[in-house]
Amino acid sequence: MQRFIIEREIPDAKDLTQDQMAEIARTSNAAVESLGVPYEWVVSYVAGDRIYCVHDAVDADAVLEHARRGGFPANKVTPVAAEFGPHTATL
Amino acid sequence: MTTSNSPGVSPEDTYTQAVRLLERDAETGVLRAALGSARDGEGSIVVIAGESGAGKSSLVDALVSEADGVRVLRAHCDPLDTPRPLGPFRDLRLVDTSGREDASRAELCERVYDAVRDEPALLVVEDLHWVDAATVDVLRFLARRVESMPLLLVLTYRDGEIDPRHSVRPLLGDVASLDGIVQLALAPLSVHAVRDVVAGTHLDAERVHALTGGNPFFVTEVAKEPDRPLPNSVRDAVLAHIADVTDHDLEVLQLIAAAPDRLDNRVLPHLGVDLPTLRRLQDTALLTRTAEGLVFRHELARQAVESTVPPGGGPRLHARLLEALQTIEPADPAVFTHHAVAARDNARATAYACQAAEEASTAGSHSEAAAFFEIALEHLESRDPVERAGLLLRLAYQQYMTSRLAEAIANTRATFRLWEEAGDDDGLAAAHDAVALYEYYNAHRAKAEHHADTAARIAQGAGTASTYGASRATRGFMAYMRNDLDQARALATEAHEVARRNELAQLGLRSEVVASVVDLVSGDESARPVLLTQVEAARDRGWDELASTVYSQVASLDVEHGRLRDAEQVLQVSIPFADARDIPICRHWQTGVRARLQLLRGRWEAALEDAAAVVADDGMPLALVWPRLVSVLVPLRRGEHADLGVLDDAWSLVEQIDEPLRRLAVLAALAEAAWMTGRHDPRVSEGAVAHLDGLASRPGAEWGAGNCGAWLRRMGLPVPDVARSATPYRLVDEGRIADAAAYWARVGDPFAEAMTWTDSAVPEDRVTGIRLLDSIGAIGTADRLRVAMRQEGSVVVPQRPRESTRANPAGLTNRQLEVARLVARGLSNSEIAAQLFISPKTADHHVSAILTKLGVPSRRAVVVNAEQLGLT
Repeated sequence: MQRFIIEREIPDAKDLTQDQMAEIARTSNAAVESLGVPYEWVVSYVAGDRIYCVHDAVDADAVLEHARRGGFPANKVTPVAAEFGPHTATL
Repeated sequence: MTTSNSPGVSPEDTYTQAVRLLERDAETGVLRAALGSARDGEGSIVVIAGESGAGKSSLVDALVSEADGVRVLRAHCDPLDTPRPLGPFRDLRLVDTSGREDASRAELCERVYDAVRDEPALLVVEDLHWVDAATVDVLRFLARRVESMPLLLVLTYRDGEIDPRHSVRPLLGDVASLDGIVQLALAPLSVHAVRDVVAGTHLDAERVHALTGGNPFFVTEVAKEPDRPLPNSVRDAVLAHIADVTDHDLEVLQLIAAAPDRLDNRVLPHLGVDLPTLRRLQDTALLTRTAEGLVFRHELARQAVESTVPPGGGPRLHARLLEALQTIEPADPAVFTHHAVAARDNARATAYACQAAEEASTAGSHSEAAAFFEIALEHLESRDPVERAGLLLRLAYQQYMTSRLAEAIANTRATFRLWEEAGDDDGLAAAHDAVALYEYYNAHRAKAEHHADTAARIAQGAGTASTYGASRATRGFMAYMRNDLDQARALATEAHEVARRNELAQLGLRSEVVASVVDLVSGDESARPVLLTQVEAARDRGWDELASTVYSQVASLDVEHGRLRDAEQVLQVSIPFADARDIPICRHWQTGVRARLQLLRGRWEAALEDAAAVVADDGMPLALVWPRLVSVLVPLRRGEHADLGVLDDAWSLVEQIDEPLRRLAVLAALAEAAWMTGRHDPRVSEGAVAHLDGLASRPGAEWGAGNCGAWLRRMGLPVPDVARSATPYRLVDEGRIADAAAYWARVGDPFAEAMTWTDSAVPEDRVTGIRLLDSIGAIGTADRLRVAMRQEGSVVVPQRPRESTRANPAGLTNRQLEVARLVARGLSNSEIAAQLFISPKTADHHVSAILTKLGVPSRRAVVVNAEQLGLT
């Protein structure tokens, strides 16, 4: 599985309510469920006019298929090349 | 493909590559050049016609791939049994996709126009053979303005599927009359091209060409499976690709085939179609993925797969689709109706069809609205008579809106029994009042009056004031139309009283209008400004049909009573209003009145154009009298072949309508035709002679009677002494020929002016008349008079001119008249272009044509002679 960052442009995304996010999550879960290939939605961040999602998938095509089925935009899909943080400060 | 504002993904990805373009160099060149012009701000239209599989979409694909820096908007019409109103524009997100659009048709047109007018754009609407009426309206609106926009509009359709009554006809007609329109008809491939496609296989190009007829889609399908036996049909060629798919995958394909518009991506989870299945189906090369969903790459492929659904299997597929579609937004009742009907789900078919019909009606797609109401009725299971009657009335209204009056009447009458069964007298009375109007528009006055009276009787018994008052106003209007003015006044007063007592504002204004038109037809010109105020009052309150009816009567009476310039001003405002507000009876009537106006003004071409427009638009019988007369009188006067049988149609119409003004007009035309051709016509020599006096005694009939009398006199028939005839006719009676001719010149009726001179006993006057007839192109009438003068032994008969030497607007079309008026006001070509939404080049073409037709050397001559040319 490969990790991807998906940028979704949604005007005024920052104003989404808890109810709306729950609805989106339900739609997304159903889309994940229906794919028939290994797929995991890890987490999503809402920031300004965008939603940044972290998904684990076999390939980018599956990420796009998830977006189609959910009716979500997927303006940019980028494979994650590496992860690091405070805990990686020492080699 | 624009996907910036749509859900889904970008860019578009497809399962197949575009078919190679062969033998389409000329077409590609045309499209490329048109796109270049659009980039430079000068728009145009390219129409691509060809049979299914001829490569229309492939050609568009190639154009789209080159459209860098141009906004691409590409949409298809629906292959549903009844298309979604505005489907293409909804798919493009140019109109609200919620399906709850309640903007008027005019607003929708403006909205789409605003969306594509500023930046260079390529707008493609494919498969117009499936188009809905509202989309046609929007496209016509754009087509009229395309030259002034940076837009290339590409339209495709299968030419074999457009019959004369197809709703796309008016659009194709408009488009054909535009300058710079390009029509591409896609020819089949040659053997040579087929050889290119099958190169590298063992297939015999000549045999493949003979088998496929050179159809590019068919050829390509055959070439994809070169190792199989040659298929017998396109269907077999398509099915060869799925010979090896599993039953499960075939069922998924069948499910997709059951959604002829597209299978929305968002229903895939609900239908249990997973990604591995889609990837396997990708190998069949039958499907395309767009931002909106899954579609078959070609309609022929979809139909081939659909044909594999076993008998009885269809309803189950459609039921599954319907369940799935109901889970996503926006709900589209037109699509739901399609699936509910195919699923044999009556309850849902009726419910969704009603919703779809209301949406269609709001969007101005009345033929689709009627189709949906028919579906709703066909599947209605309820035994409630009121529910069924309500549906029938709504269906009838949509049928009236599309000029299907006989059906509208039949369906409204079918509700009588239902209202009686329900014991609902108010409903019954309202239904009779509706039939009264439909019968009247259908030119059946006697039936109309009967139903209006029945409505009043029932409503009075039931004590429903609004229906009673409305039926009295309806009857009053009909009495006015028949010049029974005392009765009309009494009925208007009664309706007004009902309105006052019950505070019914619209009925109040309606009855005041009837009173005002009665005054105007009686010769009280102070009623005219009152009527124009009443128009404004009706428009302010949104009573568009009432406002439009007032316009209809003012224009009609202006023309009848010689106020031609006033009539012209009213019609310039009122025809666009009736068109924008979608009031067909007024559009037909007013266009017919304008045909008559143009006839009187000697603008033969424009008169014929308006007459033909009413007929082409399935004009309602009541509005057909003038178009019928014009279509005979113009060729007769110009010395061309005229179909006199059309006058018999007009006669039958006025027999049914039975109104003095209409009857006098037809009698005058019959007399003119008899005078021209020398044919014996007892309707004239006996009927007209006997009835003229009676007809002339009706207030308001002074002009019609004067005209009819003048023709009878020219035929040498005994003319009863008509006490009341209009001024110019009276002047002739008094022997004041020059004064009468001058009067007609002021009115702006050159034909009447000329005929007045020829009525003189003085040969020189008659020569003046003949010369005038020659100058306005009424050569046929002039020739008739030349013969008469020679027979009398006159020596001063003027020669027939080689061509019209005096400037006159006889040959100008309505569009050219519009341009000519702007030239007369001193506008430059670019100013004219801006005002009429055309390119300066087209304005220049119009001006050249106008100068030629008017026989004047320069636009300055048009300005100087504007008055004489009748352009003021």
